[in-house]
This record gives sequence, structure tokens and C-alpha cells, in this order.
Amino acid sequence: MPNIVCCFKWVVDEAYIKPSSSGKIDLEWAEYKLSDYDRNAIEEAVRLQEIYGGGVTAVTVASSDATKGIKDALSRGPEKAYFINDDQFENLEPSQTSAILAQVIADQIDYDVIICGEGSSDMYSQQVGPRLAEKLGIPCIAFVNQLSIEDKQIIAERKTDEGMEVISAPMPVLVTVLPDINNPRVPGLKDTLAASKKPVINIELEDLASEYKRLLIDKGLKAASIERNCTHFGAGPEDIKAFVEAIRKTGVIDRG
Amino acid sequence: MNFKLTEEQELIRDNMREFARTYVDPVAVEIDENSRYPEEVIKKLAEGGWMGMPFPAEYGGAGVDYLTYAIAVEELSRSCAATGFTMSVHTGLACGPIALYGNDDQKKKYLTPMAKGEHLGAFALTEPGAGTDVGAATSTAVLDGDEYVLNGVKTFTSNGPVANTYVTFAWTDKNDKRNGMSAFIVPRETPGLSVGEHFMKMGIRASQTSEIIFKDCRIPKENLLGKVGDGMKIAMNCFDHGRIGIAAQAVGIAQAALDESISYSKQRIQFGKPISKNQAIQWMIADMYTDITAGRFLYYYAASLKDQGLPFSKEAAMAKVFCAEMCSKHASKAVQIHGGYGYCKGQKVERLMRDAKITEIYEGTSEAQRMVIAGNVLR
Repeated sequence: MPNIVCCFKWVVDEAYIKPSSSGKIDLEWAEYKLSDYDRNAIEEAVRLQEIYGGGVTAVTVASSDATKGIKDALSRGPEKAYFINDDQFENLEPSQTSAILAQVIADQIDYDVIICGEGSSDMYSQQVGPRLAEKLGIPCIAFVNQLSIEDKQIIAERKTDEGMEVISAPMPVLVTVLPDINNPRVPGLKDTLAASKKPVINIELEDLASEYKRLLIDKGLKAASIERNCTHFGAGPEDIKAFVEAIRKTGVIDRG
Repeated sequence: MNFKLTEEQELIRDNMREFARTYVDPVAVEIDENSRYPEEVIKKLAEGGWMGMPFPAEYGGAGVDYLTYAIAVEELSRSCAATGFTMSVHTGLACGPIALYGNDDQKKKYLTPMAKGEHLGAFALTEPGAGTDVGAATSTAVLDGDEYVLNGVKTFTSNGPVANTYVTFAWTDKNDKRNGMSAFIVPRETPGLSVGEHFMKMGIRASQTSEIIFKDCRIPKENLLGKVGDGMKIAMNCFDHGRIGIAAQAVGIAQAALDESISYSKQRIQFGKPISKNQAIQWMIADMYTDITAGRFLYYYAASLKDQGLPFSKEAAMAKVFCAEMCSKHASKAVQIHGGYGYCKGQKVERLMRDAKITEIYEGTSEAQRMVIAGNVLR
């Protein structure tokens, strides 16, 4: 019966990313949420457990105030969580996040399958999963949209530019999943209430062997702005000329 | 004083939002059009543990506080006011009195399947000649050996046609206007209970409403709820907490009206710019947001008083009248913002405006709420 680990990130809910009239983005009142594809990762871990048995452990590297994220993840099925947290753990480099995850997972967690979302909703660097596999020295299968286990092997269907690819790998293994792998269930009321009672292993910076200095520093957030001038054009040849002339005036294109 | 919900309350709110988006939004238009009871949605609500939120786990509930329950009603009503009301009537008016006044046997036998969502509850109090004037009811309950014999006609019974368990009221002593009414639990299959006319309504059309007729309907003596003569007290108490649910429902409808108005006014171009750039529209949106926030905190306040075991009758009435009236006003403004499109089927605001009106009427009209408030304030 496989021990399944799912990793998740607690990110700013993009619904709250709104520019002020000055073009600045104020995240002070922003709500956070589970990164979208990490929901699929958690759901897939729980789905595999329902079929093959075993256990599901959720792991996150987050700032210390992400306690709601732990409850949210646990309400979706994992039986325990590792909360690796420090106030500095915001805006970590993917190399740092994966190093922290690797250290804790290697030292403290029995695992056969590690499932990550393909990328996070905020940065979408798609690096944490593959880097984590590399650090743990296990195979990594990315872009997965179907998973099963047969004879201690994981069978994964990958969605690639060339088409679908079905491959197998021995466990332990890490997979990164795409959103169409499943439809994450909506936690029921009792799932949320039960989540508060599940064990959470709290790991702080001083429990980790290494130091993790912040490498990425926010210099400021600015919104992309779209100015509409609401000019209307028809579809005749003259209109097209007028249209080209109009956008040329804006400096978007140049006759060269 | 801290105006922040707990993490758990926020998650429960967010999960109900996700539930409503996933299971309710796709059917909301159709069930409104066809006045259809969304049995499949209610089943999903039951599976998620949403049909008995504030009742103890030993009786099938989830044991959360009333505030959390009311927040869930708001979120569900934001997608479909009729579904929100089905849950609210079941929880507040049908399960509520059994949880509060029932004995252990009654809670095991009736509340448990209701709180699990296996059985749906209804509250049959109103009669053709007895609306706000509850005392004008004519239904009677006569003790005959070990049974009560019920006779009478109840009307506007929400969940009436689809309920499994009814909480109803009848005179055990017609001469005692103060303590002559008693409350009873009546299972659907009881001979002598029949469902009369189904009502086709202006709004909340997916909520099922009918007459319930008792004709020599014999129920065992042990189905008396509370003591003989407790009826009026139980009815009034039920309304007190039911009103918090209606206030929450009204806030949900108003929030939906605001959601729609924001998105439409940013997209609708007139005179070369989105209409949201016009001060006239901005003021409507600002007023909506302000009233919704005020209404939400009014019902949070009433619910938190109830959760603390403090008197909350006046506050529930205040929340109900304020939320209902601002809901109607702003649903109408939302149609105004949408213009001709808003008046047509296919725009959510058209449904919201029809749904809003009932919040001023049921579980005590706005006038009745003012009677409660004035009665408390002028005491």
C-alpha cells in the first residue's frame, strides 16, 4: 500500500489582485487559496489512496500565517500535514522551496509516490516538482493527466505536444499533474470540521539544517493597464486603412 | 471587538461557495423556470453535511454555531435563493423546534434523519385566515385515548409538497388564547395528512409551497412537541431564529445583485465608455455595497448573540427587516443598471428581483418585524 505525499502552495487568490486607480496593487486585503493545480495533486493522492490504500500526507513550505491553508488541504482528505513555516518563506526561489521539501521529506516521511501540481497559480515556474525529484534522486514524470499503480510501478499518461504518452516508472517516484487529471471534490462540512483535529507537524526554520536567505525580493507590484479609446471601425477596405492608420498613430506598429 | 471570522468559518463559507458554483449555478435557471424541486442538489447538500449544520453530532448534525450556518445560507442563496430557503426552512423552522423542544426520543426518531438530510422538514403554521395573526388559526388537536386527532388546513407551507416531517400547530384549548395552542410532529405518511394546492409563486419558484390538510389525522400522543400549550411560544421562538436565516438569504440575493451589477456595468459601453464610469451607476453600486455590508453585520450580530445564549429576538427582527428591504431595493437597482436586458429572462438580476420580494413577507412581514422591534424598544 503506497505512502503518498502531496505538496501544495498557499497563494494569493487572483480574484483579489486588482489595481488601484494609481496602478498599484495592494495585497494587504488579499485572500489566499490553495494553488489551483495543487488541488488536483491532493485530489489525485486521495483518489489513489481510495483505490490502493496506504496513507496521504500533505506538505507545504509557507509563511507562518498560512494556517488556514493547512486546514484547507487537510479538509480535502490527507490524514496529516507537515507545515514547514517561517516568516521568511514567502517568495522563495523554486530551488529553495524544493531543497526545503527534499530535506524534510527525506528525513521524516516514508514515501512511494510524491504528487505536485504542474505549476503554482502565482509564479507557475513548474520547477519545484522536478527539482524535488532530482534532490531526492527519484524519477520524475511531468504533465500527467492519468495515474494508476500496477505491481509497484506507477503508470502515467502524459500529455505532450506530440500527443499522449503512457509510461511507467518504479516507485518511489514523483509526478506533476495537470488540471484535467481529476475534478477536485468540494469538501463537505464535516471534512472541514475534521481537518482541525488532524495532526500537523510543525517545522520551523531552526529545525532545518540550512539557512534559507530570501533571494527574490519584491521591488514593487504594478498592474498591467489597458487603455480603451473605444474607436469603432467597419470591415470595408477604407475602414481597414483607417484602422491601420489609427494604430500606427499609437506607435504600436511602425511603417519602418 | 474583532470583525473577523475564524479560519474554519471562512473555509466553510468558501466551500459552500464552491458547492453552489459546482452544483447549484448549473441548474438555478432551469429550476426557477420549471418551479422544480432540485432533489439532486438537496441530496448533494445532505452528503456534504449541510442539512443539519447547527445540531449536535449525536443527532446527525455537524454541531457548528448558528453564525456559521447563517453564512452558509447566504452563500447558497447567492447562487439560488430558493435552494437557500429550502435549506433554511428545513434547518431553522423544522429541525430547530425539535432540537430545542423535543425530548430525546423525538430527537432520535425525527431530528436525526432530518439533520442528516435523509428527511426534509416543513413548518405548517400559517392558515388561510391566520398569517401574521397566528392566534386567528382554527386548526384543532383533540386528545382521544393515546392519540391526538388533528383537523385543519394549513397554507403557504414551504417544503410542504416534498417534506417527510411536519412541525405543525393546533389548538388544544380554543378558549385559552395565550396557552391554548400546542405544537406537534407529524410524519408525512400519517393517514389524514394530505397535500393540497401547490402554489405557483412570483419568485423562489424552485422552493415548493402548498396547503397541508389535516382531516381526522391521528398522531400518537408522544408526538406532542414540548408541553401542552407551548405552541405559541415555540412558534415565536422558531421565528426568532428562522429570521436570521432569512436575513442571510436576503444578503445572499443582494450580494448576487451586486456581483452582477459590477460585472455588467464594467462591460456595458454607452456614450463611448463603460457605464461604471458614470457617477449615477457608481452611487448605486456604492449604496449596494454599503447596505450589504451593514446587513451582513446585522445578521452576524443577531446570530452571535444567539450563539452566546443571549436574547436576540429584537436583533433578529432588525436584521430581517433591514436585509429584506435593502435586498428588494438593490435587486431592483440591479435591474435598473442592466436596463432592458435586466428586464428579460436570461439575466440573473430578473430572477433576483422576483426572489427578493418574498424576504419582506415570509417568516414575519417587515411590518411584523417592526412590531417586534418597537415592542422591545418602547418597553
